[in-house]
Amino acid sequence: MNRFSGALDRLGRAVLAAVEEMGKIILLFVSVLAWMFRPPFKLRNIFKQMEFVGVKSIFVVVLTGTFTGMVMALQGYHGFRMFSAESLVGGTVALGMTRELGPVLTSLMVTARAGSAMAAELGTMRVTEQIDALYVMAANPVKHLIVPRVIAGVLMVPLLTVVSDFTGILGGYFVGVHILGINSGIFIKNITRLVELNDIYNGLVKAACFGLILSLIGCYKGFNTYGGAEGVGRATTEAVVLASISILISDYFLTAIMF
Amino acid sequence: MFSLSSEAKVGLFVLVGLIILGYMSVQVGKQTLGLKKGYTLEVFFDNAAGLDRDASVQIAGVEVGRVESIQLQAGKALVRLRITPGVKLEHDAIAAIKTHGILGEKYVELHPGTRGAAFLGPGEQIFRTERQTDIDRMLNQLSLIADDVRGVTSSLNRVLAGQAGEEAITSILTNTKDLTRNLNHVIVSNEAALHAALENTRQLTGNLNRVVTQNDEKVGQVMDTLKSASVEMEKTFATLKEITGGINRGEGTLGQLVKDKGAAEKLNQTLASLQEVTQKINEGRGSIGKLVNDDETVRNLNEGLTGLNRYVNKAEQFRTFLSYRGEYLFDKSNAKSYLDLRIQPKEDKFYIVGVVSDPKGRRTTKDVTSLGVTTRTEEWDRDGLLFNAQIGKRYKDLVLRGGLLESTGGIGIDYLTLNDKLKLSFEAFGFGNDRRAHLKAGAEYRLFRHLYLSAGWDDFVSDQDNRSIYGGFAIRFEDDDLKYMLTTTPIPK
Amino acid sequence: MIKLVDLHKSFGRQKVLDGLDLEIEKGKTTVIIGRSGGGKSVLLKHMIGLLRPEQGQILIDGTDITKLKDRALNEIRKKFGMLFQEAALFDSMTVAENVAFPLREHTTMKEKEIRETVADRLRSVGLTGVEEKMPSELSGGMRKRVGLARAIALRPQIVLFDEPTTGLDPVMTEAINRLIIDTQKNLNITCVVISHDVRSIFEIGHRIAMLYEGKIIENGTPEELKASRNPVIVQFLAGSIEGPIRIM
Repeated sequence: MNRFSGALDRLGRAVLAAVEEMGKIILLFVSVLAWMFRPPFKLRNIFKQMEFVGVKSIFVVVLTGTFTGMVMALQGYHGFRMFSAESLVGGTVALGMTRELGPVLTSLMVTARAGSAMAAELGTMRVTEQIDALYVMAANPVKHLIVPRVIAGVLMVPLLTVVSDFTGILGGYFVGVHILGINSGIFIKNITRLVELNDIYNGLVKAACFGLILSLIGCYKGFNTYGGAEGVGRATTEAVVLASISILISDYFLTAIMF
Repeated sequence: MFSLSSEAKVGLFVLVGLIILGYMSVQVGKQTLGLKKGYTLEVFFDNAAGLDRDASVQIAGVEVGRVESIQLQAGKALVRLRITPGVKLEHDAIAAIKTHGILGEKYVELHPGTRGAAFLGPGEQIFRTERQTDIDRMLNQLSLIADDVRGVTSSLNRVLAGQAGEEAITSILTNTKDLTRNLNHVIVSNEAALHAALENTRQLTGNLNRVVTQNDEKVGQVMDTLKSASVEMEKTFATLKEITGGINRGEGTLGQLVKDKGAAEKLNQTLASLQEVTQKINEGRGSIGKLVNDDETVRNLNEGLTGLNRYVNKAEQFRTFLSYRGEYLFDKSNAKSYLDLRIQPKEDKFYIVGVVSDPKGRRTTKDVTSLGVTTRTEEWDRDGLLFNAQIGKRYKDLVLRGGLLESTGGIGIDYLTLNDKLKLSFEAFGFGNDRRAHLKAGAEYRLFRHLYLSAGWDDFVSDQDNRSIYGGFAIRFEDDDLKYMLTTTPIPK
Repeated sequence: MIKLVDLHKSFGRQKVLDGLDLEIEKGKTTVIIGRSGGGKSVLLKHMIGLLRPEQGQILIDGTDITKLKDRALNEIRKKFGMLFQEAALFDSMTVAENVAFPLREHTTMKEKEIRETVADRLRSVGLTGVEEKMPSELSGGMRKRVGLARAIALRPQIVLFDEPTTGLDPVMTEAINRLIIDTQKNLNITCVVISHDVRSIFEIGHRIAMLYEGKIIENGTPEELKASRNPVIVQFLAGSIEGPIRIM
């Protein structure tokens, strides 16, 4: 009985902690919104973060996009061959990339690359008192540190998703046409027939939401780091795990709303 | 190796990303571009199973349009097709739902029809449809045929058991074959007629039967009634004879009337004037005559009916919306909520009633005079709800509204743009005599079908330091949507 | 200048400040001494509003900052400069950008003026030619000096030092102490220094306050402190194991 109530107790605590954390992240979002529109705007900071989140992630996004497209083409081909519908491979790859895999994989990669770095960087600043130093110099850390990162996340992840979609389809095209021997005209024709403009745009809206989630969580975890080097490590891990889970869960709900 | 600044790198990346996005959009959007301008046609299908919105519409395998909507109407599927502008269809065009291969998707195949007098115009209906061959029906027929074949072969086996009459049997068989074919032909081609004849016969005999059994009883009743009626009639005649006798003798009023010459004269006159009146009416004189004879009356009546019709039509335009708005005031660090019911009897006219919960609350001032000194106290009723009651009218993209705004008199102007997706609004209310008016400017953007984002500047000329940037969201449903939302939950495709 | 009245602060069950009262005099250097982990840094962070007490008042020139909103608090903070324990330089910026940060944030100076001011501040802490270096390329002592240059960039009235000499060799310790004395004298500012380095205390402090178990148990001139009979102070100054301060 005692063990049972102990377990209940722990469960309740865990749920409360989760709800509290979510509330704090939303409050952080509100204050990010408030500071975002308050001049002066430090464009240099924003560009620096955009370079870090966007430009430096291109390589890894291209790589994952291409190989995902190639694998989808290969797997799709074996499935569709049973119905002699190999020509649908192109459309399937394109739909899958634009609607789901492009946004989700891109944001997971950016989470791993940039979200973790945000948590680590802010966490280090926290434990070496650099954030306190900002407060002391009457400069708001949300404006100086978090706003540029969130802006970069929201703007760059959709752009990376475009790259991922495109290279994914190219990868699928390469495998489908050059290795499996599907007619290239039919391959492309099926892409344009099945994919609608809204598939692409809704995928990009999703990507923007994911960019917001990963940058916000990375910053939140970093900003609230405590406990030295170990704390920085913990914050980084938690940021990546929480952001990845949030992206996957919110993906379901965004899909339910949009498609 | 030259190095770029971060700005340049980001700029380059954004440029490349946008070019790729543009390229993909153009590739994908190419087909739907230009179709928006086309015209619509309606077709009723018995069965539109498997046909989806945006399915292809083709003539001779060439895409000429898309399926715009599929609805159920009077037990049939009403399919609206959007056809590209250049394509013309005759009035006897035929529509059919077909399938690409066995597992492919469905599409609508059109046969443009033979050259006639006029082409089908926008909104008109294609009357001729072909039944689709679906796989279930095909398999059913195949199994029936297989049964027949098995019956025939087994009987053939039995007949052919005797060796002697093989030749005769062969010739019989050929005859039979011819015969059965003819018979079959007759039956098949007259099947419907035969069915109808049989059905009629069955109904006829049924009716006859019913008439006979029911009347068996009734005939008896009729006879009984006749009998008693004849007795009553006899009595009546006797009384009549008595009355006429009385009249002849000049008894009673009627008797006097008949006997009296003057009375008869009056009656004649009355009848004459009555005749006169009816004649006048016929000629259209007097008010009743006019009423009966005038064309205008008829027109008025018609107009009355039209008005009634219009009223009924109006009921169809009548829409109501329910909306919730939450606004977060950043500088005040608190939130305002609006719950509004919008009633829209016509497309360009609406009424709004609603409540507002304002954390600032409602201000009431109280003047207290004591010892010759008047002091004014202000109280903020923080739990109090504020009320909205507005009337509004829309002129193209501009909406003017006025009435009660947050429990004070005020006006508002909205400007709608981007297909009504973006709303810019300005409100002025709370013209109290001792403080500046409450002015509010903001924008609202429709993100998804029911979800709006808003931002703006609240109370920006406040002399009470109430000005604040706000941001928030709104959820807006038409009441039908609400019903729909409550009964279905979204499931991703 | 700074007046702390009946401050209480605890983290979890541990009571760090327990009804502390202290007054910092204008234009003097006050050194706060006490055990490591005894709440000296917490006390310092209260003075500049980084932490808020559970109870009590913090008066800066008569204004109680415990109740202030962020915006008003930032106005107060502009009177302060602070040198953190590890200098807390922004490691994504160069030395020049670090020193220029408060100037860019709170003044409308032109780039040229900023460059001149930065060079001047660096010169006043004895550094030249390090403008374009990154903080990670500097030694601990240099980092602290850059930190001080940043703290005095806006010519504050009060400068707080959080253990300025911890982790430095004796020569560098001496150099930093000299720097604190010179800066205080030249700029005529109020300094609050946290330290447990006994030699430095008497060198730089006009007044010395001893923090022990959440309270200020002694506050006086170096001479008064040396003459104190309080066993805690005697033990602390002597660095002896024997006495009321228990070693855990």
